[in-house]
Amino acid sequence: MLPENGIGENMKQYRSVKALIIILLILPISNLFADDITSGEKLFKQNCTACHTMTSARLVGPGLEGVTDKYEKEWLIKWIRNSQELIASGDERAIAIFEEYNKVAMTSFDFSDQEFSDLLAYLANPPVIEEAIATSNNIPIEEGMSTSTKLMIISLVLVTLVYLLVSLKNNLKSALGKDTETIPETLIGQYSLFISNNINVIFVSAIFTIIMLKFTYDGLMGVGVTTNYQPSQPIEFSHKIHAGQNGVDCNYCHSSARKSKHSGIPSANVCMNCHTYINEGSITGTTEIQKIYDAIGFDPKTRTYIDGYVQKPIEWVRIHNLPDHAYFNHSQHVVAGGIECQECHGPVEEMDVLYQYSELTMDWCVECHRETEVQMEGNNYYTHLHEQLKEKYKGEKITVDKMGGLECAKCHY
Amino acid sequence: MKYRFIIICSIYLLVTSCSNDGRGYEYMPNMYRSPSLETYGKNKIFNDSINARKPVAGTIARGYLKTFNYGPSLEDYLLAGEHAINPLESNSDNISDGEALYSMFCEHCHGPDGAGGGSITHPIYSVVPYYNDDKQKRRSGTTMSELKSGHIFHAITYGLNAMGPHASQLTETERWKIVLYVQELQKYSNE
Repeated sequence: MLPENGIGENMKQYRSVKALIIILLILPISNLFADDITSGEKLFKQNCTACHTMTSARLVGPGLEGVTDKYEKEWLIKWIRNSQELIASGDERAIAIFEEYNKVAMTSFDFSDQEFSDLLAYLANPPVIEEAIATSNNIPIEEGMSTSTKLMIISLVLVTLVYLLVSLKNNLKSALGKDTETIPETLIGQYSLFISNNINVIFVSAIFTIIMLKFTYDGLMGVGVTTNYQPSQPIEFSHKIHAGQNGVDCNYCHSSARKSKHSGIPSANVCMNCHTYINEGSITGTTEIQKIYDAIGFDPKTRTYIDGYVQKPIEWVRIHNLPDHAYFNHSQHVVAGGIECQECHGPVEEMDVLYQYSELTMDWCVECHRETEVQMEGNNYYTHLHEQLKEKYKGEKITVDKMGGLECAKCHY
Repeated sequence: MKYRFIIICSIYLLVTSCSNDGRGYEYMPNMYRSPSLETYGKNKIFNDSINARKPVAGTIARGYLKTFNYGPSLEDYLLAGEHAINPLESNSDNISDGEALYSMFCEHCHGPDGAGGGSITHPIYSVVPYYNDDKQKRRSGTTMSELKSGHIFHAITYGLNAMGPHASQLTETERWKIVLYVQELQKYSNE
């Protein structure tokens, strides 16, 4: 046993020494290349990304793809250190850039020599990751079929099945030497066989009547109820991408929900806060974003607004629409009530195409008012009223209906 | 053959007629749609037929008196940094209001601590300057951590670099509250 152990120990030691040697050999080599670029990347991300991309796309400043081929190292360092000085010295290339980019002065960066060489190493060898991002974002389009396509496929399968069965029957019949039938003849034959029995007729008519009654009832109850209403919009805007994947708060675009009756449809300038620089969507490419530019007159190539452009509104289709005889106020529910948007609007952050989630019927409103407790804490304005309510309903839950949330004139006036 | 065609057609029509594109029926549409104009709608009165009108030039809405009189230019940005004064007191109420507003309007790019890492991962907006950066001098002539309230307010109002203007989404009071919270984040330390 002992010698074996000894060999084992030796082997382990040998292995770890070998590993150490390999690491020691690799480290300096990778240091030579990788480290320069990674620390350069860090510098770039912290200081440059607000104005420059690593592609050819123009941002506030020019895209930096191939910038190290266009300009020599010394010139770039001078420019980054103090571009204004370089312009003042009468350098033609510097003046040309300054003029081209609307005379926006670039911030001066006082990097050390080491930092400059890291940064330039990164600029000369940018990583190729953007392609990967684009393709990974493209995958979700293919997932899932709509229900109507599924139904189409099922009905097609059924029709082919009928056709196959009838031709099989005909084959058998012709093999036996009997007369063959066409599909309608078979269907009519089966039908007359079925209605020759009275019980069958009664049974079918009873089922038919029940189904008709059910449809009539549902139809009447559905008058004015537009749950699941999902119209196609003038721009294929996806809440799933904006609110879900990008995590933009609802209030960012619907900023008047906190202040007004309406939650507010963002005007195009809110879109432009990001889409001045993001000109391509992950699913629809440039087509849908171009519609914003067409509405307000923006040229994504030069990133400027077109002078004298006749702007036209984007005609979004309204989904949530209470009848005019009912009053609803967003700010009352969002600010005073502290209700999350999703409670009424459903999982908007998962919807590619928005639909109406709740019924928006009076029954639906009243039910919530009966169940929702009033937020008493941190509401200085109504302190006195809340004290009175607590006195009146000792020990009970104080819900919205207890302070007049079911009064007719609260919503109908 | 004729029958088969009709059957296939009718099945196709039955299947494709199911969609959620329509609004369905309304009972007494006169009560549903009153003659008064809705905010987002059309009318026949104005040439452009838009219901949402812009206020007359020079209108000052109640509570919207200007507290910040600087233009969008770089000179005004520098002037604002030097001279603009936050009318709000830096107390815990205002700062917590500012924090709530920050989470709605800023966090998806600037991150929860003002040190980046927001939920937007697009290459252009994924990396933003840190509020607590005290090394690199910026266009203001100061580092990020030394930005004055006027600089921050100017950036929110008119935008800066890749950041867009947010004046239409936030009132001036709300912007000053965000400024107070951002000034707290400037003191935030990574360690």
